Parts: sequence; C-alpha cells; structure tokens
Amino acid sequence: MADLSVDLGFCRLKNPLIPASGTFGYGEEFVPFMDLDIIGALVLKGIYRNARPGNPPPRLFETPAGLLNSIGLAGPGADELQGVIRRLSATTRTPIIVNVCGQDDAEFAEVAGIFAAMPEVAMLELNISCPNIKRGGACPAQDEKHTYRLVKRVKENIAKPLIVKLSPNAADIVAVARAAQEAGADALSLVNTFLGLAVDLEKRRPVFANTLAGLSGPAIKPLALRLVWEVCRQVRIPVIGMGGITSGKDVLEYILVGASAVQIGTVNFCEPAAAVRILAELEKEMEKLRLNNLNEIKGKLAV
Amino acid sequence: MHDESGRIEETRCLGENYYLLKVFAPQIAREAKPGNFVMLRVSPTWEPLLRRPFGILQSQPPHIWLYFQVKGRGTTLLKDRQAGDRLDILGPLGNAFPELPDQKILLIAGGRGIVPLFHYAKNYAARQPLLLLYGGRGAADLKLLAELDAMPLLEKYIFSEDGSCGEKGPLTEGLEKIVREQRPQATMACGPEAMLAALAGMLRAKKLDNYASLEAVMGCGFGVCHSCAVAAADGRYRKVCADGPVFPLEEIQWPI
Repeated sequence: MADLSVDLGFCRLKNPLIPASGTFGYGEEFVPFMDLDIIGALVLKGIYRNARPGNPPPRLFETPAGLLNSIGLAGPGADELQGVIRRLSATTRTPIIVNVCGQDDAEFAEVAGIFAAMPEVAMLELNISCPNIKRGGACPAQDEKHTYRLVKRVKENIAKPLIVKLSPNAADIVAVARAAQEAGADALSLVNTFLGLAVDLEKRRPVFANTLAGLSGPAIKPLALRLVWEVCRQVRIPVIGMGGITSGKDVLEYILVGASAVQIGTVNFCEPAAAVRILAELEKEMEKLRLNNLNEIKGKLAV
Repeated sequence: MHDESGRIEETRCLGENYYLLKVFAPQIAREAKPGNFVMLRVSPTWEPLLRRPFGILQSQPPHIWLYFQVKGRGTTLLKDRQAGDRLDILGPLGNAFPELPDQKILLIAGGRGIVPLFHYAKNYAARQPLLLLYGGRGAADLKLLAELDAMPLLEKYIFSEDGSCGEKGPLTEGLEKIVREQRPQATMACGPEAMLAALAGMLRAKKLDNYASLEAVMGCGFGVCHSCAVAAADGRYRKVCADGPVFPLEEIQWPI
C-alpha cells in the first residue's frame, strides 16, 4: 500500500486531505458520515472575536458546476469556539486547524493569540482572503504590503505554525505569497473563492446584498490549479492547494504542480462523506501510477 | 442521519408537472418523522452541483415517497430518473412537527406544502382528531385528494383560488370559521411564504400553538453551509435545515 503521509516541515500529516474552512462546520457535524481520524487534518469554520450573524439572505447561488456564496462568516465568537474545540479534540486525534479572521489587524492578532494558546489546536490558518465581509470583496490578501504587515504582527504574537490563506483576487498572487513567506508564514493555502457576480434580470439588481460573492466548486479547478502551480514555483514554504477538488485524481494533480497537501471544500456540501471516497480513490490512483509515496510526484510537472 | 444509496422504485406523473416518487431507502424510511426532509443528488455528475431538498410525503419502511412539482433544473432531472436508478439520498434531516397526542390539530397546506402534513396525517389521523385545510390556485395544484379521502381525518376543507375545486378563494378565507367552529388546540402549516405570513397575522391573537414548516434554498441540508438563513423575530438568523424546517409560527420574522 502506498504511503499517503505528507510533510509540511513543521508537522507530518497521515495523508494530504484536509476539509476546508467553512465547508466542514466545526467537525462534529460530520461524525455521522465518517471517522474524523481518517483525514489528514481539518480546518474549522472561520472565527472572529465575537459572534457574527452573517449576511442577509440570499447567501447562495448555484452556477454551472459551481457555487457563489455570500455567507459572511456567520457563527459563534472565539469564547464559544474554545469549548467546541475541547469537545472535538476529545473525539478525534486528527490535527485541528483554526481559521482565524479579523475586521482589522488587531482583531486578527487577538484571535490568533487566543487559539494559539490552546493545546488542542495544532496550527492556525490566517483567513486574510474572505471576499464576503467588505463591500466589493476587499481583503488584506489583495495587497502584498498589508499581507506582510499583518502576517508579521500575528506571527510575532504566537508560537504555533501559521498557514496564510491567499486570495485568487489579488492582482499578483505570487507577490502576496512571497510577502507572507518573508513575514514568517510557515505555509500557504490557496485559493479562497473567486469574486463573482450574479444578477437578477427582472429586478435589474445583484442577487446578493453584498453585490459580489465568492465562487467555488469544480468550475474553478483549472483557475485554482494554475495559481497553485505559479505560487509553488516561487516560494520555499509548503503550499496547501485547493479549488474544485472532487476526486483522488484531482488531489494528485495539485500535488503534481507542487502542493504539499490539499483542502477539499464545496464537495463536502454535496457529499458529506466525500473525504472517505476521495481518500480511497487517491490510494487506487497512486497504485495505478505506481507511486510509493506522494514525494515521487510532488512538483514534478514537466513543462 | 444517513447518506444512503437509495433506488427509485417508481416515478409516477400525476399530471400538470406533479410527480410522485417511490424510493427504496430502508435506513431513512425507518427513522423519518413527519416534517423531516431529505437532500437528493438529482444527477450523478457535478451538474447541477448541489443536492436538492425534498419533503417526505410518507414513509413505509423500506420505502419513502416524495411528491414534487417540476419547477427548475433539479426537478426536471429528477422526473426523468427511471425505476431502478440509483439515487443518493441524505436524511432524514431537520426537526419534525411536534407530536401532540390527544390534541385537536388543524393542518394547513398550500399547494406543495401538503407534503409534510400528508405525512403527519398519515401517521397520526387514526389516533387523534386532525382537520385539514388544503388550498391551491386550482384543481391542478390539489393532487392527492383521493389519498387524503382515505385517511380518517375529522374534517377536510378544500379551497382553490379559481374555484375549480372546493370553495373559491385563498385558504386563508376559511381559517376564521374553522378555528371558531372546530376550536383546534394547535395548527401546523406549510406552503408559500405569503400564505404563512398571512397565517401568522391571523393566528397571532388566538391562543393556539402554531407551527410552520419553511422552505429554503439549501447548500448542504445538515447545518454546515449557513445558506438557508431565515430572519427570526428576535432579529437573529435561524438555519432552516438544522434549526427547522419546523418553527413555532411566531418565531419567524414574516414579511409585512
């Protein structure tokens, strides 16, 4: 049997499959569908200091093989999540990653500090790329200077490994990736959703109250794969690739262009036990390609 | 909650784009309660991407029955699925209408809103007094009358807006009189938002326990994606899939 484990430098995961933030709830929702111990790690839904109601409905619009969302990071605050994490860590040994959000740099740093102090938390993912908070989709990950400043401030404050989640909506994602690396990020994850627009022809208005929304799902896979490939060629730190993954083959494609691990997102909505199926497919696919481990294919795209 | 690989046993067109689906899904059938729903993957491909929510019309293990009107892409694909086809089905999801044994309950169904109330009547009509107020635009929207006739309902009141079936007018026109004469202790409603909003207004001053089952666009159906938010009277959002779909009628912020 092939060795599925992957090395992120600061930690080893038993396999490269990580459910993405915002698509896996707080883990416990998926217990009826799978043994959480089988996945490499899991990322909790993004968290702010205080509870958030989220955006007014509609929050979702289906597109061909894709999904526009404008959820607005609805959820509990940091205090409540700590209890959830303690409960979750009692039910699974899988590393827990907290997706850290903030309205401003100070909040990012404060929330990161809170969860970095929890022994149950393996690492943090800094969500500097959610397009659904500010009107027009603005986020820190669109600007390399802001990214550098913010990552540096957060990293100075914590001892835990820090993954920085990048936006595909940056003018130059490689520059932002480099800025995060220079500021001390331990790994990068990309991509968050692509900014999109849905309109209501009869009302002549945008479908979403926030006008723009984030596109995910199989529709974005080639776009995301290209960005992951470009970033992997330009940074030294590990990259966690994501965007439209629905199969074991998709996972291998991301590893081939240089990703160390992957996140699966939208597919968790359509198929709650997707991770189980994708893992099985990954093993089969590796056997077919005669791969003993993922390092044999990682970053080996011949161009 | 099960992610079950079910099988379509029968697809029956009831006319005017209404369909009845009999699905082999033993695990879900065993647990389904009136008010629960399922999420169906209408296509084995990723197009359309999301599952679709459907109410459960009735459950007789190992089968459940679904009843739907062809409205869009999902229901169009579903109606063309054939007997013998595999059907990925997630459920039973959400909460159920409360069991109120011994109480006299008025069920209020607008069009396709009959689904969870049919299930309720099917399960409980033999043990307690149930009244049904059922309305639609016309006779075409009021299927299942023969099946409802076969249930030991205390009384049935039918309304159609065009007068083609039962009394002419929206079902809300019958409400006052039924409540006055029959004195139910509770109401359970499902139907278009405008109907539920009107009911909320009319039932506010009456001392009844009122419940409504809501419909929403859903991404996942099990509380994870936060797409199906509905504004509650307390100013906060509820998830239709996980907090509902059945809510006390007064808990929801109805449009005025």
